[in-house]
Amino acid sequence: MIQRIRRREQDPDIARRARVLLYVAVGAFFLLLSRLYWLQVVSYDTYQALSENNRLRMRTVRAPRGPIFDRKGRPIAETQGSFDLVCSPIDVADPAGEIRFLSEIVEFDADPVEILEKVREAMVSNPFTSITVARDLRFEQVSVIEFNREGLPGFSVMVEAKRSYPYGTAFAHALGYVGEASPEELDARSDGRLAMGDLVGKYGLERLMDNVLRGINGGRKVEVDAAGRDQRMVEEVPSTTGMPLYTTLDLDLQNAAKDALGSQAGAVIALVPKTGEVLAFYSAPAFDPNVFARGIRKADWQALNADPRKPMQNKGLQGTYAPGSTVKPFLALAALEERIIDKSASLHCPGSYRLGNRTFRCWKEKGHGSVDMYRALVQSCDVYFYTLGLRLGPEPVAAVEKGAGMGTLTGIDLPGERKGLVPDKEWKRRVSKERWYDYESLLLGIGQGAIHLTPLEMTVGYATLATGGEVMRPHVVAKVVLPDGSTTEKKPELVRKLAWKPENVEFIRKGLAGVVNDYGTGGRAKLPGIVVGGKTGTAQVAQVKGKMIKSEDLPYEIRDHAWFAGFAPVEDPRIAVVAMVEHGGHGGSAAAPIVKAVMQEFFRTQEAGPPAAEKR
Amino acid sequence: MSGPSKLARMDWPLLFIAILLCGIGLVNVYSGTRVHGGAASALFAKQFLWIALGLGVFFATYYLSDGFIEEATPGYAILILVLLVIVLAVGQIRGGAQRWISLGGFNLQPSEFAKIGVVLMLARYYSSKYQYGGIGLADTLPAIGMVLVPFLLVALQPDLGTAGVLLFILAGMSVIACVKGWLLGLFAFLGSAAIPALWYFMKDYQRQRVITFLDPERDPLGAGYHVIQSKIAVGSGGILGKGYLQGTQGALRFLPEKHTDFAFAVFSEEWGFLGSALLLLLFALLVRRLFHLAIRSQDRFASFACGGVAVYFLTHTVINLAMVCGLFPVVGIPLPFVSYGGSSMLTNMLALGMVANLSRSRFTFQGGGTRGQELSS
Repeated sequence: MIQRIRRREQDPDIARRARVLLYVAVGAFFLLLSRLYWLQVVSYDTYQALSENNRLRMRTVRAPRGPIFDRKGRPIAETQGSFDLVCSPIDVADPAGEIRFLSEIVEFDADPVEILEKVREAMVSNPFTSITVARDLRFEQVSVIEFNREGLPGFSVMVEAKRSYPYGTAFAHALGYVGEASPEELDARSDGRLAMGDLVGKYGLERLMDNVLRGINGGRKVEVDAAGRDQRMVEEVPSTTGMPLYTTLDLDLQNAAKDALGSQAGAVIALVPKTGEVLAFYSAPAFDPNVFARGIRKADWQALNADPRKPMQNKGLQGTYAPGSTVKPFLALAALEERIIDKSASLHCPGSYRLGNRTFRCWKEKGHGSVDMYRALVQSCDVYFYTLGLRLGPEPVAAVEKGAGMGTLTGIDLPGERKGLVPDKEWKRRVSKERWYDYESLLLGIGQGAIHLTPLEMTVGYATLATGGEVMRPHVVAKVVLPDGSTTEKKPELVRKLAWKPENVEFIRKGLAGVVNDYGTGGRAKLPGIVVGGKTGTAQVAQVKGKMIKSEDLPYEIRDHAWFAGFAPVEDPRIAVVAMVEHGGHGGSAAAPIVKAVMQEFFRTQEAGPPAAEKR
Repeated sequence: MSGPSKLARMDWPLLFIAILLCGIGLVNVYSGTRVHGGAASALFAKQFLWIALGLGVFFATYYLSDGFIEEATPGYAILILVLLVIVLAVGQIRGGAQRWISLGGFNLQPSEFAKIGVVLMLARYYSSKYQYGGIGLADTLPAIGMVLVPFLLVALQPDLGTAGVLLFILAGMSVIACVKGWLLGLFAFLGSAAIPALWYFMKDYQRQRVITFLDPERDPLGAGYHVIQSKIAVGSGGILGKGYLQGTQGALRFLPEKHTDFAFAVFSEEWGFLGSALLLLLFALLVRRLFHLAIRSQDRFASFACGGVAVYFLTHTVINLAMVCGLFPVVGIPLPFVSYGGSSMLTNMLALGMVANLSRSRFTFQGGGTRGQELSS
């Protein structure tokens, strides 16, 4: 011990070394002080802002979408509350674990792997915007999630507005559906009203009227802790519900059309000839728009698109079909207008027509014998109309048909309309650089060959026959109620007025009444007490050589399309209806009963009620 | 025995600073751990208990008789080594590391006490090897070996923060004990060269922390989260702070480990630059006082031990603060007296008690008649 006790003065180097360390310490503390000065004084504003962002979350309060009503004020699309599972990416601690746990409780909108990917992506790219991962939870599911709240910091159950369509498939193609806004839509709509995760109309009226139906999102500024739990609300901006939309559609007629078509594929359209108001617009097969509102799964979407009967296609305005005999009244009208033939002049139908070295058959093998124009319409004699087509040539036929709104866009207020084709020599020259052949004129007479029309065009054409030459623009929107309570109504819009001679139109109408009521091909559209006029059509899908084979005996894909187009009452038409059944066979048997069912429902429910009908 | 009583020879400035820091720490633990909008947490009460126990340790150590600490050094060192082995064998695994021995309700962290063991062993060894003109290579290597054993045991837990502190203590004490300058330079060079090897021994999360430190924005929600949130807390404190209990970063639980390693973030958010600077000043005073006592000690063992403790507090304070300010990777090193934690509190108090005890000896020649003088006469 003795040796170790020494005076400090003996070890000046120890003191010197210790002082060196003390200077190092002073330097280190000075460095820390400058760092604190930098962080707290110089960079204060930056960190202050970051700190604010940290604890404040903007919780979007999504605006409920405006309801859609039928013409009698019955809701056909509503917005309801739904318990949704919402993810707040910034608060997610263990994405894989939390999603694995949740996948055992709820059914995600997409595959859990996709959800995980989406969440992981959002954690980096968009951590403060919440994403909905599952919709429409049941009470038990909500309970389980709430019970396990601690282990699920990134997820919470929120009441979100959900689109619901009480009549399911009935209005699918007219109303369309809504879905989460895609990145492209978010980019395209720069009005600032569209936020990530918002529902937008993807199809049908929902899409066309999206700006009206979609409300303005509100927001809640809330203070949260690191686990994402709301601590207190700082500020709230209420949301504004979307505006209600009144349509011209009639629930009863729509349902009647759906029921009458049953499991068949096709389209049924009904409208008010004098105003263009669409009363029913049904396309089948349809999809359930409710499924989309819950976020359709990829597999379901793929199945819908792979279905050969194309449930995602609106056959009413996107499908084009050979019109078959339904064009005959237009040929008759053209012939009368052009004075090609006298309506009382008779032609002989031996069951076929020979042109050059080809033979064109009448649907009635034995032939109709001697037929005048009225009989030819009522019996749908092909030979008579072969003759008319040949004598008229394409131009006058096209003039009448196009004039009546066929082969052109009708301008209906539904998205995605396609136009059919009414051929003429000019068209032929343009597409094939070939001259027009006589057999083509002949085929025009029975609505075969190049001509193809959408059911909507057909409806407008027959509505024009019903009005005697007034082409009205078909429309589905009746009125929009603005936030201040005022309404904007859609007025009937006259596209053009045709100079058809009234007596010619009168004669055609009489012929159409005969089709239904005078032992014609359309007898199955007959209604008691009301004179229905209309025309059947059976459109060949494939040329079948040799002996005539009944349509029912053919494979489904090459069976004829069945048409029936008509209006009622003939003396003062208040409704025009077209039914087209894909591969349905004969128009008289497959399509006429559908038109009858819709008309029957129309007259049973005392016609169209307010709001738009009374404004005629 | 004459002369001033032990209590009269107490180094009051040292004790005063320590108690002040404990008070600040306690108040800060309250803010950092209280239930949001509610009452104090159990941790606050526990910290209070740790401070009381710590003061007990301080005085118990202070009242140890002269020379006892030096004589007990090998025993203490062996005890620590045993505990370090035990912790590796049966210790509780928390957060991927095995650092704690459970003693009833309390978890003891032997690696904390290992720092004192290293300080004492080195002080004892270097004071026996001291020679005018500096300690040479042959006498330095055993010192390195002496530290290497606990270093490896601690690094295996793994607790690289504490292991690193052991190296800093070795380096600092080697400086004070006058290891030759060229040797210090050589070891500094070899030490830097060994960093790649260190990388090899790191766990993935530790490597991640280093990578993240170099580029925090790289993983803002993962390993970079701590650093970013901590900087936000400090920076948003501004000059005057958000006010006590008003810190949103801390209260809203954005800060991880805000009562332990990140306690300073809570403090500086609430007290601002003025508060932080004041706290910094207190630590600077503590370290200065320790170096001062090292310089003034009358015996080499005391001098080196005080110097070691000074290096220990300096290292802890600077690394912790640098970490919280985003100047250093996140390593688990608490801020002395301010961070919540029993082992750390007891270690700190033990260290200060030791210094106070050893620095008593500087009164030896002034008062006369004490043990030192008796022995030398």
